[in-house]
Amino acid sequence: MKNEKGNWKFFIIGALVFIIFIFPLYWMVVTALKTQVEIFQIPTPLWPKDLTLDAFAAQLSASSDTLRGFKNSLIIGCGATLISTILSIPAAYGLARFKFSGRKVLILYFLMTQMLPSTLILTSLYIMFSNMGLLNTYLAPILADATLGIPFSIIILRTYFLSIPKELDEAAKIDGCNSITSFTKVMLPIAKPGVVVAAVFSFVYAWGDLIYGITFMTDPNKRPITSSIYNYVQQYQTLWNATMAFGIIAILPVVLIFIFMQKYIVSGLTNGAVKA
Amino acid sequence: MKKGNDSGRRAGFIFALPAALYMLVFVGWPMIQNFILSFKNVDVYTFSDASKQAFVGFANYKELFEGKDAILTAAIGNTLIFTVASIFFQFFIGFGLALLFSKKFKGSSFFRGVTMISWLLPVTVAGLLFKFMFASKGGIINQMFMSLHLIDAPLEWLLDPKLAMIAIVVANIWIGIPFNMMLLITGLTTIPEEIYESSKLDGANKFQTLFRITIPMIRPAIMSVLTLGFVYTFKVFDLVWVMTKGGPVNATELVSTYAYKLSFEQFQFSKGAAAANILFLILFVVGIFYIKLINDEEEVM
Repeated sequence: MKNEKGNWKFFIIGALVFIIFIFPLYWMVVTALKTQVEIFQIPTPLWPKDLTLDAFAAQLSASSDTLRGFKNSLIIGCGATLISTILSIPAAYGLARFKFSGRKVLILYFLMTQMLPSTLILTSLYIMFSNMGLLNTYLAPILADATLGIPFSIIILRTYFLSIPKELDEAAKIDGCNSITSFTKVMLPIAKPGVVVAAVFSFVYAWGDLIYGITFMTDPNKRPITSSIYNYVQQYQTLWNATMAFGIIAILPVVLIFIFMQKYIVSGLTNGAVKA
Repeated sequence: MKKGNDSGRRAGFIFALPAALYMLVFVGWPMIQNFILSFKNVDVYTFSDASKQAFVGFANYKELFEGKDAILTAAIGNTLIFTVASIFFQFFIGFGLALLFSKKFKGSSFFRGVTMISWLLPVTVAGLLFKFMFASKGGIINQMFMSLHLIDAPLEWLLDPKLAMIAIVVANIWIGIPFNMMLLITGLTTIPEEIYESSKLDGANKFQTLFRITIPMIRPAIMSVLTLGFVYTFKVFDLVWVMTKGGPVNATELVSTYAYKLSFEQFQFSKGAAAANILFLILFVVGIFYIKLINDEEEVM
């Protein structure tokens, strides 16, 4: 009986925390559905009396930057994810399964790169990409964004490979597999959930990047969505319903990923950050 | 796996090589270049003409600290205030939530799960959202404070130097809480239930249990949350760039935004590189501390 009461207390506190925490997102949605008049009313209504989808319609019209930014971000995000995943899987496997001199140094090296500020390499990357003629091509942000995903992917995948019993590779070796075939035929299929987490994180990192996007892509037609919304706000300072509609479209892929893969994401976050 | 297996050694290295090379080309090399750049005089005039570029020693660094409109020292101060304030609140709120959500009750895992979302959102969008909520006209925060009679007239949150710092810290706390909470929850789950039971039998109250058992047992998780939190917060760029762009009058200028402005608004590439190196140096010290920390832990395991 006492336990039940305690449960209710926790439920109420938990629900309050939830409401406070989720309020900014609620406010984003509500604002996107309001008219500009209602937004600047004092006091502004907590729920629109004059519900309208105009802001969304405007953002989704063919001439808007929103869809173009969305497409650009998809290309950049997928490109960066592809590079990051392809390189991270073997690296994580090598670092989890083989003892070789320099292994520890390599792990530390990847750990360190994860903590570097983007501003540190931004100027040099800009000069490098400028010399290679890569500015204003998708390749520039793709190559830069992949560096955000690789260290994180290696760290989570390595933890994943470490959790797979070693007997499995040994059995594969007895069956005549060499290091490479036991990796592709035995380990990879088992590590699939880990690979999905790594890929998802690489994508989320690339999707959320602003600094590489605004620096390497000055052509409005090629801007990723974070950079488009940033520029949109500079232009339409107080058009908040349109900005929030833009924002909702910009966070849509991340929200969908979150809804469908929440369990994986939580495990990825904790594995990637705590155990190294 | 046999120790000292030669082919095994080579295989491990070969598996890791492509990723290591990639990071070397796109992170390691630019870092070295950035270091060299910071000792040169590359700006908008000398950018495309290598013959005019020369080494100037520590001139850039000197100017950043002592030049007549140097704001680097102020930027470091701002970054420290931003980081310490953010971490302080993120940690205590995150810890409270971790204690709450590590209990099993109706809706516990749902509530916990949904609060994670703020950490995954593109920071640019989160920043704009908070910029809107803190807006002096139409902003919900002013409205709430006014309806609670805490203020009489709307505050200019993002145009007042002190208030602007509060606004970016609040936004950053919202983004960072889930990270703190999740890592601490993971720490909490490693504490065996029996320990709590025996402490109950010994008559320990809730505070004694918290300070004598819970906190000492999750010390490693607490340490990594704090050091990682420091590193991630100290290098924040997008949030501040979107909300205040370092303003008003440099009140929220962080080392990262200042370095960006030097390089890509004033096109003083070498000075920007020098400012970024200072940022790196501070992070490096904390990073070493973190790596030592996980190394010690690994040895224990």
